[in-house]
Amino acid sequence: MQEAVALITLVLVTLLAIVFLMVLRRASAPAAAGATADPGRYRAPLFWLLVVVGIGVSYASLVEWPYGPGTASSGEPTTVTVTGSIWSWEINPTKLPAGKPIVFAVTSRDVNHGFGIYDPDLKMLTQVQAMPGYVNKVYYSFPRAGTYKIVCLEYCGLGHHVMAADLTVGP
Amino acid sequence: MTDIVSSPRKILPSAATAVRLTIALAALVLLLMMVLGLVLRLAQSAWVDIAPDLFYQIMTAHGAGMVGAAGLAGAAIMWFFLNRYVELRIGVYYLFLAFFLLGVVLIFGGIFSGGFAGAWTFLFPLPAMSGGVWTPGASLAFFIGLLCVGVGFLVFYLDAGVGVVSRYGSLARALGWPQLFAGSQQAAPPPAVVASTVVLIVNTLSIVAGAIILVISAVNLYVPALAIDALLAKNLIYFFGHVFINTTIYMAVIAVYEIIPAYSGRPWKANKIFLAGWTATLLLVLAVYPHHLLQDMVMPAWMLVMGQVLSYVAGIPVIVITAYALLVYLHRSGIRWDLASALLVLGIFGWAAGIIPAVIDGTIAVNKVMHNTLWVPGHFHFYLLLGMVAMSFGFSVWLAQGEKPAQPFIPVQKVVFLGYLIGGLGLVATFLYAGMISVPRRWAVHLPEWVAQDRVGSVFAALAVLATAVIVVNALARFVRAK
Repeated sequence: MQEAVALITLVLVTLLAIVFLMVLRRASAPAAAGATADPGRYRAPLFWLLVVVGIGVSYASLVEWPYGPGTASSGEPTTVTVTGSIWSWEINPTKLPAGKPIVFAVTSRDVNHGFGIYDPDLKMLTQVQAMPGYVNKVYYSFPRAGTYKIVCLEYCGLGHHVMAADLTVGP
Repeated sequence: MTDIVSSPRKILPSAATAVRLTIALAALVLLLMMVLGLVLRLAQSAWVDIAPDLFYQIMTAHGAGMVGAAGLAGAAIMWFFLNRYVELRIGVYYLFLAFFLLGVVLIFGGIFSGGFAGAWTFLFPLPAMSGGVWTPGASLAFFIGLLCVGVGFLVFYLDAGVGVVSRYGSLARALGWPQLFAGSQQAAPPPAVVASTVVLIVNTLSIVAGAIILVISAVNLYVPALAIDALLAKNLIYFFGHVFINTTIYMAVIAVYEIIPAYSGRPWKANKIFLAGWTATLLLVLAVYPHHLLQDMVMPAWMLVMGQVLSYVAGIPVIVITAYALLVYLHRSGIRWDLASALLVLGIFGWAAGIIPAVIDGTIAVNKVMHNTLWVPGHFHFYLLLGMVAMSFGFSVWLAQGEKPAQPFIPVQKVVFLGYLIGGLGLVATFLYAGMISVPRRWAVHLPEWVAQDRVGSVFAALAVLATAVIVVNALARFVRAK
């Protein structure tokens, strides 16, 4: 996901830069007398292109509720309770099965924290906010066994960067 | 037909002096805050050893200082050009500056004297629950400082509102709604007035929301029983923060509308598409803030969906109207280039390009794996450093060179411009790359696996700071000489 997002961003920003450069290269030369081409003729097509792409992406990304358990998971999820407090995590249980649906019920005892799950290669898999007075739920199914890292992703004070824990995912 | 509602007038020398003073102050603070930002990157690069408490103080100062300085620069630009069309009171402007400066003193006092490090977003209830790192007094100083800045801006916008209504009859007329919705054939108000009216409406609302949460948070420091729901607090804070920072860009873009015509000889008119874009912006900027709360799924589902969909919609006026209009406007315009015009045009590019990663991050499925990584400072540095701030520096340079184009675009200035561009782009690219590899934002210490990209980012940040220093020092020197 992250690589695809970065690639799409790179392509779109580069395209925009090319358009700017093409126009700016000739901007300081005045239009020739009698020039009739309307430089604004692409506005309507650009508008409708963005509308169509926006509707398509909205539908594709929301048709399956992104906060739900997902259609790939089957069976009753295992519930893991997570409580953040400055600056540690209480997680129960910490040993989980691979390939099974898990639902993390996340809250906080004090300030806002961010519950982030990282894989053994330090890539973020999913996240949710840990808030006082609320329980946010995030579903995830670990694809493989290993030691996964829990980090804090919402700034919570002096120990924010050391607020970490491990999850052991077994076969 | 004589266009009595659109014809500009020259602003008084005393008003111009006030603006020069403001923009000089804003430019200095921006430079200082950039230096603080560089220090943060150097610390994450493990090139500078800074204790976490100081790191987070600097981070808080960098955030609050940048937002404040951007607001100050934007206010100077808006006031300068709105003055061409409506009567504004210089006494009120100096009152705004006084409140602003008092606020700055309290904010920085709370941070560096009291140790407050609750970030510029001061998420409730962190300021009251620091784990013993700072005192309630430090938080209170920070809150009162922000309130002072907010009161200053409120006074500023109220005076602008009075001026606009006195001249155009109503806010609706100043937004060009008769031309947009009722088929009026009269000339629409000039772009500076339309943009200023949007800003004064939405930012008044945002500041009121900010004041509410600031007062509650301040009381909560000493009376914990008087608390606010944490989710409601988050909504108020992000509504305030989102609208405020966006209006800094809206104020800065007025410089493009007003200055670029002097370089091209073509007027920048408020046609129907322009008016529609600003009216859409007025509504969108108020409604889109839930995209900051996509990881709070206890929020009503419709608000989360709205956050995503309106993020996409909000990109359209920037790309299709502002950026596109600039390109159409510049196409074979015969524009003369100097440092000021180059920075102003760069500002539009940075704004439009920066919203691309921002809008993509507004997709819930993407947000789940990129929110609160360095992807976020990646996109906001794009549309602020290379957008809003570039426009502000363009305005500063134009002001410093006597409010007219300078000829020619000398090689030294070209080098400085390229340094700013390359430094800014490099810094943004390394932030975005770090977001791609999941590096969290706001960590005082980075894991060894992340340090290489931090170091590349530090080099680019240093280049951007160096170029900025040259721009700012040169502009200040010219202000002093002109005086």
